[in-house]
Amino acid sequence: MTAQLRLVEAAEPDEDGLLPQPVHYFGESGTALTELQPQSLAAHRRRFGPRPRCASPAAASGLIDRLAEAALCGRGGAHFPTAVKWRTARSSDATQTVAANGAEGEPLSRKDTALLELRPHLVLDGLVCAAETIGAHRAVVWLHQDNHVARVAVARALAERQFHERELPIDIKVAPTGYLSGESSAVANAILGGPAVPTFRRPASASGAASHRAVLVQNVETLARAALLAYGGLGTTTSLLSVAVPTGIVVLEMSSASTVGDAVRAVLGGARTHAVLVGGYGGSWLPWHRASDMALHEPAWQVRGMSMGAGILHPLSSDRCGLARAAEIAAYLAGQSARQCGPCVFGLAAIADALQALADVGRNRRRRYRQVSDLAELVAIVTGRGACHHPDGAARMAATALETFAPDVQAHLRGGCRHSTYRSGRHG
Amino acid sequence: MANPPRGRTRAKGARASLRVDPIACDGVGICSHVAPDLITTDPWGYPVIRAVPVSGRRASQARAAVRACPHRALFLSGKQE
Repeated sequence: MTAQLRLVEAAEPDEDGLLPQPVHYFGESGTALTELQPQSLAAHRRRFGPRPRCASPAAASGLIDRLAEAALCGRGGAHFPTAVKWRTARSSDATQTVAANGAEGEPLSRKDTALLELRPHLVLDGLVCAAETIGAHRAVVWLHQDNHVARVAVARALAERQFHERELPIDIKVAPTGYLSGESSAVANAILGGPAVPTFRRPASASGAASHRAVLVQNVETLARAALLAYGGLGTTTSLLSVAVPTGIVVLEMSSASTVGDAVRAVLGGARTHAVLVGGYGGSWLPWHRASDMALHEPAWQVRGMSMGAGILHPLSSDRCGLARAAEIAAYLAGQSARQCGPCVFGLAAIADALQALADVGRNRRRRYRQVSDLAELVAIVTGRGACHHPDGAARMAATALETFAPDVQAHLRGGCRHSTYRSGRHG
Repeated sequence: MANPPRGRTRAKGARASLRVDPIACDGVGICSHVAPDLITTDPWGYPVIRAVPVSGRRASQARAAVRACPHRALFLSGKQE
């Protein structure tokens, strides 16, 4: 209870923000603990006023210019400039559909669910503005089929809008739950009637390029921020984060001037942390002393060759072995391959095996010495060889685990582990 | 592995590049025999395309590899000679 009280105090209600308070999702499926209520259409309109109309050429290019000025980038993980995407879609006759992507494949991410659950109308406003701006005739909210919380929230919000808003109809579409069913080429492929798996785009083939352009896929936080900008707000001075804690996942909004240390302390207090996985399962491990002062500002990460991905922080408490955790994650990622590309199918399994061999203490030593060099070679072989970036993320996670947990690798090779629970099992 | 193998990046200075569609590719491996100067294979038999310019002898190897693939997984992209 005290932890929850502290969470509430930690957040200042912010006029221009998306979430005035942190939301704590408990356990795997995640019931939300929060005092926040889903914002009704009436409350939403009281706060923001009528939705800006974007269909006229002047309004459309005005909104795109605002997105460009604010440097809004995709919050689904790829951080592609939103203005560029919308401008391309607008100039192309092929783009008929806009999809609000709320299928968070990343097991440690809940920000999109939180947003759909608590601020659905802001996301839907963003979706309609996007559709009007690019001249699309169809709008879709894309969700995981077992994300009942988000599905109910969106369905309720759409029912409210039906009678009060004059706008194009919005459908809810659901995907099988999986790491890759929210990957943007998978979303586009599924909306066009194919299976929800990533696709490969051949530049030479005109038909492939056209189908890729036919759907504008945009993360729900990106759309909510586009809506804030359309209303004349700031939009990009904060970002939503999902922080993995032992009991679940805390979603909170932080200013981009604050640091990783600020975010982790806001949810975990002074708990001892020795490393952080930044950017989710396909992200980068960093030792705590290097991560804690990093700003929560994507460009600051990109100059160092890293990314915050969809805004995920996974602090690792000091009693848990990083190699054991990295091996668990690698095994999960290998299992989530769409099994379309050979290097991903075989490479990720090999990476997971090599990491597991390093995580095990007290087995064949010589075999483990070999694993270190094998692992580095596997990372190089797998990177850039899939149709999507799934293998790249898994390789990055493994490579940064080797660097960050180098002292642990040495300890394991000597037959011991520096952490009390080196066999971590399931964690939160 | 001196160069990080990158099947999808375009070789520097090349006018055309040989690429592989990793979904269509089944690791048959004929390409690496037809175009040994351009294609090596990874430990599982899938092609790794070397980051070298595709011109002269390599260009004819590249075209032969594209023709040889039973899954039509290889293609040349960019300006061709």
